[in-house]
Amino acid sequence: MSAREEILSRIRIRRLHSAPTVPDFAPPALANPIEMFVARAQRANAELHFLDSEIDVPHTIAWLLRARNLPAIVHVPPHASALPWDTAPGLTLHRGAPGPDDAAVALAPFGIAETGTLVYASTAGAPASWHFRAGFEIAVVRADAILPHMENAIAVLKASGLPSTINFVTGPSRTGDIEQTLELGAHGPKALAILIVQN
Amino acid sequence: MTLDPGAFREAGQAALGDENLRRALSRLKTHFALGRAQAVERYGAQEWETLREQGRAIRDYALSNLDALLEQFERAVRAQGGQVHWARNAGEAREIVLGILRLHGARTVIKGKSMVSEEIGLNPFLEANGIVAVETDLGEYIVQLRQEPPSHIIAPAFHLNKEDVAKTFRAAHGELDPDRSLLERSELVAEARRVLRARFESADAGITGANFLTAEEGAAVLVTNEGNGDLTRLLPKTHIVLTGLEKVVANLEHAAVLLRLLTRSATGQDISSYVTLMRGPRGAGESDGPENFHVVLVDNGRTGMLGTEAQEVLRCIRCAACLNHCPIYAAVGGHAYGTAYTGPLGAALNPGMLGVALAHHQPNASTFCGRCAEVCPVKIPLPKIMRHWRAREYASGLVLKTTIRGLALWSFLAKRPALYRIASAIAAGGLKRMSRNGRVRALPMMRNWFLVRDFPAPQGRTFQSLWANRK
Repeated sequence: MSAREEILSRIRIRRLHSAPTVPDFAPPALANPIEMFVARAQRANAELHFLDSEIDVPHTIAWLLRARNLPAIVHVPPHASALPWDTAPGLTLHRGAPGPDDAAVALAPFGIAETGTLVYASTAGAPASWHFRAGFEIAVVRADAILPHMENAIAVLKASGLPSTINFVTGPSRTGDIEQTLELGAHGPKALAILIVQN
Repeated sequence: MTLDPGAFREAGQAALGDENLRRALSRLKTHFALGRAQAVERYGAQEWETLREQGRAIRDYALSNLDALLEQFERAVRAQGGQVHWARNAGEAREIVLGILRLHGARTVIKGKSMVSEEIGLNPFLEANGIVAVETDLGEYIVQLRQEPPSHIIAPAFHLNKEDVAKTFRAAHGELDPDRSLLERSELVAEARRVLRARFESADAGITGANFLTAEEGAAVLVTNEGNGDLTRLLPKTHIVLTGLEKVVANLEHAAVLLRLLTRSATGQDISSYVTLMRGPRGAGESDGPENFHVVLVDNGRTGMLGTEAQEVLRCIRCAACLNHCPIYAAVGGHAYGTAYTGPLGAALNPGMLGVALAHHQPNASTFCGRCAEVCPVKIPLPKIMRHWRAREYASGLVLKTTIRGLALWSFLAKRPALYRIASAIAAGGLKRMSRNGRVRALPMMRNWFLVRDFPAPQGRTFQSLWANRK
C-alpha cells in the first residue's frame, strides 16, 4: 500500500465520526473602517498619509524620500507605471527589482480595516517579491478599497479567481528574536508608508 | 547539542542552575504573556471567548473530516500545477524532500521556519547528502550557527541574550570587519539581513512550513514577521512546503478565524506583519514566484492519535501560548525537554508521536495549574491529555520506583488520619526548625530548587489542627 493510501485508510478507521458543525461566524462589526485602518496600521509602525487624488502620489513620494535623506529614486513595478510620474520631475524611476536599501512603490488593490493590512495579489506587472526585497515600501491604496475584514477581501479575490500568491502586509518587517525586543527591518522593508487616496 | 527526551530530569536539573538561561526566561512573563493579555483585552474579553469556541469548532470539524479535506486539498494543489507528497514517518519525509531537491537539481536550499523540519531532523540529513541548507528566520539562523536546536516554538533563540548572538556572529561571519560594533540589537539584525540576502538571491530551492492548509483553495497559509518565509518562496525556482497533515482546514474563511487566534496568542499582535496564501507555482502571466511547487504532508504519529484520548492535541495551531504561561517551561526552558515540541504542548504531543517509552517524563513536568488550557486558543485540555499519558506511563511500568514508594507512603498515611496528623505535625515542626527569619531557604537534596526561591516556614500548627479548632 502506498503511503498515501495507508495514511488515508488509517484516518478513515480511526477518526471520530462525531460530525461536528461549525457555527456561522461574523467578526465584530467596525464603527468606522477607515479610522480603524489608520489606527491599526500605525500601531504596526506604518506611516500614513491622506492624498486627495492620484496626482499627488509622485510628489508625495519625492517628499517622503527627501524627509528620510534617501536618494530621489523609486523602483516602480509595471502596474504602477500609469501613475502621473511627470508631476515629480526630480524623481528617478527604476524598473528593476529593488535591493535591500531601495525604495519601491506598490499599488494595493485592497486594505483591511480590522488589522491595518494591505492586500496584494501577484498578477502580471505586480511582482510579489518586491514587497520583501525593498528597504522602504510606499504603498498606495484607495480609501473606498478599504474593506472591514479579511473575509471581505477573500470574497472579492475568490470572485475574480485566486492568483498563486496573495500577500497580506501589516507594517514593516520585524523580528523579536533577539531578547524578545522589537526590531524593524529583519528581511523585508525597514519602513512602510501608506498613501490613502481619497478620490 | 543532541536531544534526548529520556534525560529530561537531568537536563532540567542542570537548566535550573543556568544563570544566563534564567535571565532569558524572565522575559516570558514581561513580553509574551503581557502582550497576549493586552491583545485579548483590545479584542474584547467576551468576544475572545466566542472566537476561541469558533476556533475549537473549526479544528474539530477539520479533524473529523481529515481524509476528505486532505484529498480535496491534494486535488486543488494539483489543479494549480503543484504536487502533493505523503510521508508516513520522519524517514520517508526526509527522503521525499531530498528526492524533490535532486529532481530539480538543487544544491543550495534556504529555509523558512518549520517545526516539522526540526521534528524530522531535516538539516543534518540534507547536509549528509551534500546539500547546504541555511535557516533564514533570525532566531533559527542564530541557533543553526550555534549548532543548537530551537528552544521555543515561535522564538527559537529565546534562551539567548544579545551578547551570545554577537559572539555567534563574530565566529560565523569571519569575512566581516572584526572591529565592527555588535553591541546593539539593531546592529545584529542589520548584519543578518545583509548576510542572508545574498543567500536568498543565490539559492536553488526554498523550504517553508505552513500554519494552515486550506482544502477548498489548495492554499498553504504562512504567517511570519520577518519576510524571510516569503523570500524563501518567491526567489528560488523550487518551493517545498513541509508540514504536518493535521494543519488542513476546510477553507480560507476558517483560516481567517484561526489567524485572529494565532497571532494574538503567540506574540500579542492583532496580525503578524506578513500572512501569505501560497497556491501552486507561478501562474501564467505572473511576474514572479517559483516554477515548481511541492507540498509534503507528514504523518509521523499524528493519525495514531486520532480516536484516542489524545486526539484533541491535534487541534494545536502552534502559537506557544501554553509554553509562555507554563511554570515548568519558565523554570527549565525548551532544551531540557529534549524534543522539537516543548512545554505543555510537547508534553501532550510527544508521547503520542515518539511513544510513551521515550517521552514519558514530559507529562510529569506539570504542576497541573491549568494555565495552559486556559490560554489555549483552541481549547485543548492539555492537563487532561497529560494525565492520560501518566496513566499509560504507570500501566507500562515506567514510573520511577522512588515515585511509587513515595506515593505508597503518602497514601498509607492519608488513609490513617491519626497517623497523618502526627506525621504532618512532625514535618511542620521540622521545617520550622530549619527556617531562618521565617523562611525555609535550604533542604537536603533540593539544592537547585532553592537557588531561585524559598518558602515561608510553617507557623507551627497544621491545617488539620486549625480546622479542628474552627469547628
